[in-house]
Amino acid sequence: MKRPAWHAISAVIVLLLGLLPQPGFALDHDNLDPNRPIGMEDAYAIPKGEIGMEGGVRFNDRREGRTRVTFQPQIIYGAFDNTQIEIQGDLMSDPHTLVGAAKSGDLHLGVLYNFNTETISLPAFAARVEVDLPTGVNSKGIDTQMTGILTRSFGRLRVHLNAGYTILGSPQGKERPGAYRAVAAVSYPLGYPTSFRDTLIASLYTRESDLRGRRNHTGFELGLRHQLSSRLVLDGGLGTEFAGPADRAALLGTIGLSVGF
Amino acid sequence: MMHHPSNRLRALAVLATVALALAGCSQFEPRDKRFYYRAFWNFALREDLAELDSEFNGVDFGHSNLYENLLLTGGKDVPAIEDRARKETLAFIATKPRLNPNEEAIAPTYMKLAWRAQNTFDEAHALHRATYDIMASDEPDKDHAIRNVLAYYQESAYAITAKRLDHHRLDQLPYSKTFRKRFPLFNATIWSYHYLQVAVYDPLQATRDLEAKTQAVRPILTTYHRYLEQPPVEWTFMPLTAELSPSFAARYPEIADIFDNLHMLHDNISDILASELLPTWDAKRAEIYRLVDSYYLASADGTNPMIVKDREQHH
Repeated sequence: MKRPAWHAISAVIVLLLGLLPQPGFALDHDNLDPNRPIGMEDAYAIPKGEIGMEGGVRFNDRREGRTRVTFQPQIIYGAFDNTQIEIQGDLMSDPHTLVGAAKSGDLHLGVLYNFNTETISLPAFAARVEVDLPTGVNSKGIDTQMTGILTRSFGRLRVHLNAGYTILGSPQGKERPGAYRAVAAVSYPLGYPTSFRDTLIASLYTRESDLRGRRNHTGFELGLRHQLSSRLVLDGGLGTEFAGPADRAALLGTIGLSVGF
Repeated sequence: MMHHPSNRLRALAVLATVALALAGCSQFEPRDKRFYYRAFWNFALREDLAELDSEFNGVDFGHSNLYENLLLTGGKDVPAIEDRARKETLAFIATKPRLNPNEEAIAPTYMKLAWRAQNTFDEAHALHRATYDIMASDEPDKDHAIRNVLAYYQESAYAITAKRLDHHRLDQLPYSKTFRKRFPLFNATIWSYHYLQVAVYDPLQATRDLEAKTQAVRPILTTYHRYLEQPPVEWTFMPLTAELSPSFAARYPEIADIFDNLHMLHDNISDILASELLPTWDAKRAEIYRLVDSYYLASADGTNPMIVKDREQHH
């Protein structure tokens, strides 16, 4: 990985650790949100009334091209029963070279609605609708994304399926006007029956490339969420893309922190 | 290439169809988790009386672990409950957990069977936690704070009735006492948790500073640990708030009744999960929900036949 990426990650880790508030169980490390730490989520919204502030740094060490670093600040709010709303604004290195829906500085608004809790015969289902407003560098048009989410448990092992489709409001050059993404993931609480602070997550994903005529990005990720205190969850993840275009990820990594209050 | 707006409409139609199909399913059930009452005194017990807080974290494990094991063993395997599951609980308590455990990881099957009952427990347990936090904090107007958290609790659709219920009638249902007769040690362990949960209110309320509160709850913790080592199998009924914390119960009779009703619901569900009279998971689920909806939730107050008319009645 290139030197600037390490500098950025180090700086954010120091910043996050410095901001640790006093221990004060609010945030649930078993409630899985996108990018915290890997690109998957479960079908559950945060509790009604909860506010969460999440942040992290993600690096993408590509097989071709420079390592890309993304800072991911996000606010989530349990606005209604079984509904969370999200505001996010990713900031990325080399913003002028980005293609696809994700542009540095775009204002991202999302709503996740959980239809039901899992029962003996029925998985939990949720739907997510997101829009990216073109507030970022080289960004045009409003991008829209819709995702269906399913969570089913088998004992303590939980299986999550995410399937989404992104529509670009104003595709530029060879950008695809629309692209699908599919993720199959599992999560498992580590430490039972004496400890309940850690959840291990693994996923396998494929998504259409940002540019037309290229192969799907296909890879896997592994992550861990650790409950630091009643209000704090620390997360970290690693991954790689084993198939895809020439500039696919050789190594993906994320570290982040979530605060619930 | 441009996407036609009809594509978006089609996607929305698919989502709406899925939603309607789910709503029509007999096991469709909303999750409805609600955040706790937000206040500066949140987690005061954890921060300032950690010794007591860690015991409550252990209690959280105990109920969920029992229900999961009763469900998975069919409620008939005495060694699995009295020996294995009980000792797992004691081992967890002995770790003095700093945080409360993830109950869905402890009882994944039970949570899928009876989520509505679990949500009812979660809301009442949050009320327990809030009242402890207020008493452990330096909140100047504790009385006002307690009445606010009670009001917040009662806004929930999952709030247990604040009316006194006829616990003896609720303990004479066809399957009642199955659990305590078959698993006397674990039953007495559960009642020991309930002893701890209600016995600490008066000492916490009567003392002003943290040092005094720490000293005041220590004898209760000693007694509680003695009960864990030698479960009080001679008890014939669950501990009641008014007997162990009479001042608290007199000052906050609604909260005392909510906690006693909560503990009675715990006993009812243990009996349902252990009883052969309800042989299938579907039958157990249906009976748990019947009880919760008809006898326990405050929303049934207008028609609940278990409400005691005379508040002076005692067990």
